[in-house]
Amino acid sequence: MTRRILPLAVLLVLIFPLQIVAQVDPGVRGGAAGAGGPLASVAANNPANILNFFNTAKGDFQEIDSVSGTIAGQDGAGLGPRYNSRSCAACHAQPAVGGSSPSVNPQVADATANGAQNTIPSFITASGPVREARFPFFFTNNQPDTSRPNGGVEDLYTIAGRTDAPGCTTAVISQPSFALAQNTGNIIFRIPTPTFGAGLIENIDDTTLLANASANANNSFGITGTFNREGNTGTITRFGWKGQNKSLEIFAGEAYLVEQGVSNELFTQERPLPGEGQSTGLPSQCRLFNGTPEDRTHFDGNGATGTTMSDTVAFAMFMRLLAPPTPSTTTPGGAASINNGKALFNAIGCNVCHTPSLTTTSSGFTPSLNNATANLFSDLEIHHMGVTLNDNVSQGGAGGDQFRTAPLWGLGQRIFFLHDGRTRDLVAAIRAHNSSGSEANGPSFNFFVNLTASQQQDILNFLRSL
Amino acid sequence: MFRRTFLQLAFLCLAAISAQAQLLPASPAPQPQLPPPSDGDPKATTVERVPTNTIIIKGAEPSASDHSTPLPEDGSISKGVYRNRYLGLSFPLPAGWMETFDGPPPSDSGGYVLAQLVPAPSFKGPGKGTMLISAQDMFFSRVPARNAVELINFSKEHLPSYYEVEHAPSEVTIAGQKFVRFDYKSPAADLHWYILATEIRCHAVQFVLTSRDTALLESIIAKLGEMELPPEASAAQGNGGGAVPLCVANYARAENITYKVDPNLADRRFNSIPVRIIIDTKGHVRHVHVVSAFPDQATKITDALLQWTFKPYTRDGQAVEVETGIMFRSSRTDVADPSGRASATND
Repeated sequence: MTRRILPLAVLLVLIFPLQIVAQVDPGVRGGAAGAGGPLASVAANNPANILNFFNTAKGDFQEIDSVSGTIAGQDGAGLGPRYNSRSCAACHAQPAVGGSSPSVNPQVADATANGAQNTIPSFITASGPVREARFPFFFTNNQPDTSRPNGGVEDLYTIAGRTDAPGCTTAVISQPSFALAQNTGNIIFRIPTPTFGAGLIENIDDTTLLANASANANNSFGITGTFNREGNTGTITRFGWKGQNKSLEIFAGEAYLVEQGVSNELFTQERPLPGEGQSTGLPSQCRLFNGTPEDRTHFDGNGATGTTMSDTVAFAMFMRLLAPPTPSTTTPGGAASINNGKALFNAIGCNVCHTPSLTTTSSGFTPSLNNATANLFSDLEIHHMGVTLNDNVSQGGAGGDQFRTAPLWGLGQRIFFLHDGRTRDLVAAIRAHNSSGSEANGPSFNFFVNLTASQQQDILNFLRSL
Repeated sequence: MFRRTFLQLAFLCLAAISAQAQLLPASPAPQPQLPPPSDGDPKATTVERVPTNTIIIKGAEPSASDHSTPLPEDGSISKGVYRNRYLGLSFPLPAGWMETFDGPPPSDSGGYVLAQLVPAPSFKGPGKGTMLISAQDMFFSRVPARNAVELINFSKEHLPSYYEVEHAPSEVTIAGQKFVRFDYKSPAADLHWYILATEIRCHAVQFVLTSRDTALLESIIAKLGEMELPPEASAAQGNGGGAVPLCVANYARAENITYKVDPNLADRRFNSIPVRIIIDTKGHVRHVHVVSAFPDQATKITDALLQWTFKPYTRDGQAVEVETGIMFRSSRTDVADPSGRASATND
């Protein structure tokens, strides 16, 4: 008997090495959400009426979109023809409105809402992360063609069959070929980025970012990094997993079109899939249920925020005015462990990329954005992350394995980690930094090789305190 | 017993599948027989998979005009020895140490991760540690330093407050050549960093050793004494020459160029593109090494630079090969300055 068990035990150790390490991810920090409220000066209504604006913009962010805005309880209009979900707040939800992927995936219900006739892809599950899918390469003769990069979003669903999309049926529009993409390994995923403190990130001057990069230039960890830049102005872009979006308004407008299918003043046409866009475009039966663009300035002042502003502007302003997450000083593991973890995080070089704080420039919006300390834990640079995290998608100047340093504020209350939500385990997320081609090998080697189990645990506690 | 276990497992699997089916919403209508919108057919009979663990869409990457001239990034480990033909360096790894991962591509500021070493699982030593071998092309450094000594002094002067200096930068001899050594530690982590740097062909080559075990670090430094280095290696002035080209900063100045064709970089990516060129004794560009660029940019730059001609560089009355650096951007071209701050020539 013992003779049989021993090889099995050895095999299990080889297969599941992560489970036997001493340090453990404390898990999602409980208690009240440390995020979701307005910046302090917004809460103080400085300047006048900004708090009312924030609250109504938050309502707009939570609004559910239907195709024509005719379904009770779904005030937004413009959904589809293709979409990933029906509301900003459905996906940006954890631990509060504006955050990241929640514990219950809204995309399961989105598939068939209001009569829609979609098949739920196997990678969308009720307890899994909200996911956006991309095919890195186009197909040629049913095979992924690595000489034809794609990388665009393949929306999960269509409005075919919905009660408010008469004439749009599954006979004229279909979902992407997710089964083929999965069978050929030609699919990658992205999860929603949290938007807390986004106004502070937006208001960090390029010169501050460049100075930070120079200050870290000759580090002892082999880290370099560069910036993604906007294609017309050359200024540093900073939102999105690859830092490809310049501003919150671009970020909001692009997401409104790509994730919900709502054309707007920044992205004025309804969006076909990448392959569809190179051939016939969207079928006529499923498009132009509304005037173009579907989200626009309300000249009569009857916009959702009670002003002339479009949803896109309201979304951007809501994110801009969201306060950064509030870390815990004692949970998990106690203050001593958290403080030690913070010191160790800096000592082993995590802070070279995950820069603990940067200072914003002057702001014309509200005092809390003005020359403020942003404890974002990011340098907003893009770094090579190696073969393990590579997704073979290029955005702006970022190549397949280059990603913006993910801001870590609010990490303690996040459920899913990394750009594709592949893990809930912080240790696995750190280990994924370690692979061929990664700039992060130095700090992650330090974590796994040079620290004791107790020190590793302190770092995990510190990260979950954020 | 086996049959009983099998039946129990089968029952559990069926129960799990059944439970999952109950959780799923009602099946939607069957899929129509339409051409798939993204030009794939799910009924394809043969399946080719996208290679895993392969970065196909690389972004900015290094390239060269020929495959025979050695490049800094081409070093490798074979039979327990790290060898780098460009730097003329070879280093026998300490017993039980290994490289587990390749480094990232060279950076757009001329930074190279040449090797990262860790103890293998079979390592028998009392302590553990890590070793980074890196190089910084001094023509493109973001740090205002002209050589390895100034680079290390900069590191010391800008050492974050949570570290403590254990050994201020000073000159030492390793394998018969001059290095600058700098030690510091982290009291919080109880870790020590020993840095040894020298300059070869205008690259600051650094050995960064990290461990909580200072005896281990000293033993690795002793092992570094077995390195082979080129005669030019020097903490303050490793400028090539002899069997390799002399490296000369700022040689691509207008007064030295007798013919040039500007590459048309109209892509508006705004990335920095460091390039090293080797100019032969007749003034022709015989080799172009694009340290970091998108492939289309690299092609345009390489094609253009191979047409450039220079006044031959002379030393003691003799024409010699030189290598120098040029920083290209979408909107301008800068000659490389070893102070780390390139100066614009044609804004």
